[in-house]
Amino acid sequence: MTEAVSPRRLRGLFVAFACATLLLSLRVGYWQTIGRGDLLEGATDQVRSDLVLSAQRGVVRDRNGALLATTVPLRSLYAIPKRVGDDAARANAAAKLAPILGTTSDAVAAALNSGSEWLYLRRRLPEDSARAIDALAIPGLGFETEPKRLYPNDALGAHVLGFVNDDGVGQYGLEGQYDAMLRGMPGRLVVERDPRDRELAIGLRTAVSPVNGTDLTLTLDVVIQTSVERWLKDAMDKEKATSGSVVVLDPRDGAVLALASYPTYDPSAVAKADPQALMDRAVSWTYEPGSTMKAITIAAAIDQHAVTPNTTYVDKGCAVIGGRTLCNALGRSYGTSTVTQILEHSANAGAVFVASKLGSEQLHSYLGSFGFGRKTGIDLAAEAAGEVRPLAEWYPVDLGTIAFGQGIAVSPLQLASAYAVLANGGTLYRPYVVAAQRDADGEHRTAPVAVGRPVSAETAATLRTMLISTVDNGIANGATVPHFSVAGKTGTAQIPSDDGRYIDDAYISSFAGFAPANDPRFVVVIVLERPQSKLLGTLTAMSTFRNIAQDALRSMRVQPDRP
Amino acid sequence: MTLSQAVRTAPVRRTANLRPRHAPRVQRAAARPRPRPTTWELRTFIAVSGAIACVFVLAILYLVQSTTISTLGYEAQRLERVRDELRRQNALLEVENARLDSPARIDTEARKLGLVRVATIPVVQLAPITAKR
Repeated sequence: MTEAVSPRRLRGLFVAFACATLLLSLRVGYWQTIGRGDLLEGATDQVRSDLVLSAQRGVVRDRNGALLATTVPLRSLYAIPKRVGDDAARANAAAKLAPILGTTSDAVAAALNSGSEWLYLRRRLPEDSARAIDALAIPGLGFETEPKRLYPNDALGAHVLGFVNDDGVGQYGLEGQYDAMLRGMPGRLVVERDPRDRELAIGLRTAVSPVNGTDLTLTLDVVIQTSVERWLKDAMDKEKATSGSVVVLDPRDGAVLALASYPTYDPSAVAKADPQALMDRAVSWTYEPGSTMKAITIAAAIDQHAVTPNTTYVDKGCAVIGGRTLCNALGRSYGTSTVTQILEHSANAGAVFVASKLGSEQLHSYLGSFGFGRKTGIDLAAEAAGEVRPLAEWYPVDLGTIAFGQGIAVSPLQLASAYAVLANGGTLYRPYVVAAQRDADGEHRTAPVAVGRPVSAETAATLRTMLISTVDNGIANGATVPHFSVAGKTGTAQIPSDDGRYIDDAYISSFAGFAPANDPRFVVVIVLERPQSKLLGTLTAMSTFRNIAQDALRSMRVQPDRP
Repeated sequence: MTLSQAVRTAPVRRTANLRPRHAPRVQRAAARPRPRPTTWELRTFIAVSGAIACVFVLAILYLVQSTTISTLGYEAQRLERVRDELRRQNALLEVENARLDSPARIDTEARKLGLVRVATIPVVQLAPITAKR
């Protein structure tokens, strides 16, 4: 016989169930109303992924479309050591990986036994290595792709291009100057994923497409750039110079056809580069140009009708100005000479004579007109302005020294721009390296910018004739190119020391010239710092010009203008 | 009448000729009266059945469509991965092509083959020739 349950206990049970039901209902009601958002967010977060879609960095090409820099996703090798296996399996894997990664098996084994749950064994592997490792099918290893900036021509044009660091930020050269433009705008993708990490076709999907970086087409010509770097290295090896640089400009619009600096570096392996090698000595470095400035001084004097090419003076080997005596190189005297012969002999005393006729104010004014003492405005990072001291700070002797290129600091690029003025008939153009930019809106070509007109066309033509004579009959005879007219001038400058004096027995040798002289297609400036052959370093500079000019004329298919 | 009764009940014609004339009235009176489905009931049954069938078919179609979209979505993702990999390979080939086209490499290879650079390239001047014609 069962014992009857007392109504009181039944009521208690009922009340308990009722309370529990009420509480649960309230809780459910809360989650369905007030707490719905939190619950939904928590659930969505478990399946939703929010990704940054990286933009493709812009491609850089030369004027003929040759690839100079591009970004390619390369495979990075990662390991999950626990999944590789036991100690024996890890040692075996390390032995197989080491020769492909170009390291020791101990190093790989140490990485696998480091205790990390997940680690990169090597980032951005060459594709061949990645394929070889993939073929090994070692458990616990995997690949992720990461973007890598590649430069197919290795160190070619390194100082123009610059490089991209591991964070994807462009530095130096074009990569630094045009970083924001090349980088583009990253996009965003919010999407729901299934347990296998695949995107759900039906579900939340919000995407903002990335805007790829702008592609750049340069004024650089790979063939001429290759020639320039080859002959510059040849000169550096021959002269054991501490540094060297070459600039090749198209005088008709200021386009940079080639630009090289030595020592150089590989933009793909900047970590291994000497910090000194990162400096672009053609753009960011200045020096006292020496006798190459005589052409500028004489151009100013002729433009002011202070002298003519046939004006004569008696060269006694030295000239006195401001109470100081300035002499020709090696103390030579040339007797009665014309202004043209000043260039042919590279006579310092003659340059002092011309400057005296011109005057300090005019010389200072013309230096500014030719672009010295201020940045050219080239679209490359870290350009140096050089130095032309204010006229008020000039001592009387400065008129004489600056006339032959001492007491003034210029960059090789500034000197090339100034010679381009003489080559193109009197117009100073802003040098530029980006010929066109291509983005989603199409191609935008760079228009040449004429900065000024320092001298008249007649003056420029006169100087061309005088500089042709300097090459044909004078000191610059080593720059002669068979079947072509060449105009140019050598320069040998002393190097100032920190105490304001000049260093004994150390020089900077240079040559500035253009060809064909009657219809110039390019201006070349070559600078060698501290050549081993000292005063004879200009011979190497001239032969370097000749070699570069021959290659460039051949590449441009320029017809000979001489028999 | 319930819907289940309507399903079990056969349709009845409204005609007296079918009933046997000799059947005793007592028997008829004693028999349990079976409700006869009306046209309204039948139509309702058919309509509801049809609606259920339509909903079922639509649900099936929706499921098929969803499954197809999902499958196609996964296939699209697979194809996107293939496309990305092909683009990557193409970019790598373009880099390799640029490396092979590099004048410095060609110069080095030419030297290995014993080739030398020509000093001058003879050019025929067109102007004197055309002047003579």
